[in-house]
Amino acid sequence: MRIFQIQRYSAIALLVFLTIHMTVVHYPPFHIDFTRILERMASPVWKTIDIFFLGFVLAHALAGAYMVITDFESMYGVRRAMIWIAVIIGAIAFVYGTKTILAFQPPV
Amino acid sequence: MGRGDAERTATVRVQRFNPDEDREPRMQDFTIVLRPGTTVLDALHRIKTEQDGTLTYRRSCRHAICGSCAMNVNGANRLVCNMPLREQLDRSGTVTIKPLPYLPIIKDLVVDRSTFWEQYLRVRPWLVPPDDVPEKEFRLSPAEVEALHHAETCIMCGACYSSCQVIGMNKSYVGPHAALKAFLRVLDPRDTIPGDRLEDLSGGDGVYRCHTIFNCIDACPKNLNPTQAIETLRKLAAKREAYDRDRRVRQASLSEPIASE
Amino acid sequence: MYTSTGYISFLLRRVTGVALVIYLFMHMWVIGSANGGPEVFDARLNLVQGPLFKLGEIALLAAVVWHAIDGIRLLIVHYFDVTEYRRSMFWAAIVVSAILVIAGGIPMLTFMLEEMGG
Repeated sequence: MRIFQIQRYSAIALLVFLTIHMTVVHYPPFHIDFTRILERMASPVWKTIDIFFLGFVLAHALAGAYMVITDFESMYGVRRAMIWIAVIIGAIAFVYGTKTILAFQPPV
Repeated sequence: MGRGDAERTATVRVQRFNPDEDREPRMQDFTIVLRPGTTVLDALHRIKTEQDGTLTYRRSCRHAICGSCAMNVNGANRLVCNMPLREQLDRSGTVTIKPLPYLPIIKDLVVDRSTFWEQYLRVRPWLVPPDDVPEKEFRLSPAEVEALHHAETCIMCGACYSSCQVIGMNKSYVGPHAALKAFLRVLDPRDTIPGDRLEDLSGGDGVYRCHTIFNCIDACPKNLNPTQAIETLRKLAAKREAYDRDRRVRQASLSEPIASE
Repeated sequence: MYTSTGYISFLLRRVTGVALVIYLFMHMWVIGSANGGPEVFDARLNLVQGPLFKLGEIALLAAVVWHAIDGIRLLIVHYFDVTEYRRSMFWAAIVVSAILVIAGGIPMLTFMLEEMGG
């Protein structure tokens, strides 16, 4: 039940965050480089939005991957281990992603 | 009954498998004369009686109430006893009959339904009534009976279970048949253990494993709706303690007339 | 395989989901180059902005759009009693997804062709 709820609630959150991401970052299509991204990412507000976005994406992606993998009878038996693997990957990815988001500083 | 009917023939393409001789299933064609009113089950009977006595399939009541004769006809799981043969023929006059998918084949069209029955027993399909039995009867309101959506008419034929790809991948999944039965009991005001039932269904192999594929609704010969039952159970499982408390309150007045009467 | 519109939508949702998980980790690797400073970031980003990648981005758009629209369809099925309309909802999801992919894909294609010409 918890995995289902994580997937559904993160999905609803993603509908909002993904719309923001697509309209702000990718519309209209333009050549992407550090300076263009910095125009937006230097601001702490955008950094916060992106960190939340990252959190919800990882929750949804890893919950989804867990469901796909444990749908198979052979993997269903080791679902406890799958949860741990998903949590660990999620934690590492979240830390790395947050670090990256914070790295968008104007060069000294 | 037209004069042309007596000479028309149909091809019945059946999947055969004899565990003593075959390594793999194979298809075999039989030709039968098309008579008015022939059902697919009638065709199988005639083939077995007149052409090949080794053809093996399950059947009993022949009027869509026992649930024995569910098979895969032209790609869809159906009962064959109330299915007119004429309507199942493709352009070349052929009907293709295979056993229910995703289950081990015992012989020809007979499959092993052990996991089907295991999941059924797992959900405790019987009613657990209160210890206080009323003098006359339990009183349920029309709305309470309406909420069951005729789930009690399920004939346990297995068409839904065997159409579900989640079952195809994982036999630990509770399955649409058992979920529907659990729904019938959980929503019944006479049942004293809805919270328990919902807890059992909240795990990784319960109602949250359904991927909303909807094949079960398409397959059901009684037009039942296991997917909607599962969605209802999902919502109830999220607040099962409150639901349990409400059930205890309701059971205090089970032998009393309904307010509207 | 027991085929139906429900099974097709499940399959597409799964395939796009798995593809998006793989994409997510590749994306994090590319954007993660920001940790090395602006020059490293720009260099790595240049690797993934050629015409082949631009076409890949349109495929990515299609995957995200289908996954999201099918997901919305599931949310509706979860919160409302609409199983009766399951087939029309599947086709509605196909149509809405096609419209969004075409609407988003045309500017992307135009941009790619401009970049190739210039």
